Amino acid sequence: MTTFFFYVMVLLAILIGAYLYRVLQGPTIFDRVLGLNGISTKAIILFIVIGTYSERVNMFIDISTGYALINLVGALAVAKYLEQKGLP
Amino acid sequence: MDILSIIFIVAGLFFMIVAAIGVVRLPDVFSRSHAVSLTDSLGAFLMLVGIAFHEGLGKNTLKILVVLALLYILNPVIAHATIRAAFRSGVKPWQKKSS
Amino acid sequence: MALFVFWVLISASFEWIHLGLGLVFSFAVAWINSGHSLFVPKFRLWLRILLYLPWLFYKIIESSLYLSKLILHPALPIDPQLVSVDSKLRHHAAVVLLGNSITLTPGTITVEVDSNKLIVHAMDKVLSEDIESKQIESKIADIFKDEEPDL
Repeated sequence: MTTFFFYVMVLLAILIGAYLYRVLQGPTIFDRVLGLNGISTKAIILFIVIGTYSERVNMFIDISTGYALINLVGALAVAKYLEQKGLP
Repeated sequence: MDILSIIFIVAGLFFMIVAAIGVVRLPDVFSRSHAVSLTDSLGAFLMLVGIAFHEGLGKNTLKILVVLALLYILNPVIAHATIRAAFRSGVKPWQKKSS
Repeated sequence: MALFVFWVLISASFEWIHLGLGLVFSFAVAWINSGHSLFVPKFRLWLRILLYLPWLFYKIIESSLYLSKLILHPALPIDPQLVSVDSKLRHHAAVVLLGNSITLTPGTITVEVDSNKLIVHAMDKVLSEDIESKQIESKIADIFKDEEPDL
């Protein structure tokens, strides 16, 4: 079971690479913001999988909750700013 | 119980891989956001339920469900804010070429 | 109330001092933020929303299978379009719930909300017809039929 979680972690890291391609390549700036949102969702799940792998879930779940809330505030601020500024 | 959790996690990984392919492959911002919402809703749900099965009943499962509810409430808000910013600043949606 | 449940779930400790502190602080914050009004819980509304969730989840599974079939198709047969939906909902909370449900369902996303008009971006003809048939909206109107309209 532990090796299974290890392979899940590796696969999630590779998927983050796919989103990173979109962040670096994106034609408009909104593509980049969208890619960052996808990466943060992956990171929340990756935290919990890491916690299960090292058998300390109760600590890592608190970290992922805080990360989700901070991500909400950051993404809303960026979206609001871009909405007022218009297309660069 | 382990087999059930492995099934759920593999199904969640399948949806995540499909969403990553979609993010790389689709043509514009609006369609890519659909792929991201596919990850957020079904992929995250299946993976977290799989991990909850592996943990068994207890406080940790309850906290995992809290994270899941938080994702389900917050992710549509973020997606809607980004897409509304894109729409208001004048990004044209990609249309199929009518020939 | 909801804040107290959130406190208990986050701290996950069931000793008396934690429970008492959480009770005092959550009710104080709720009382300050709600304009010093008395708190009236709406149990029937919450029960109906809870009964609505499994149906929404069935819709999510159905449309995400459809969307993954579209993405994995080698010719990429997508046909994105903007649909304008005129809803008849009379509550702020109902419009919020409708927009969240539409965005949460893969393949459709809410672009713009103006009191109760929504502009929805859909991925395909099938999905946009699914929005225009107003299944979700009739379910939500069913949930909110007892409340006072405030829009």
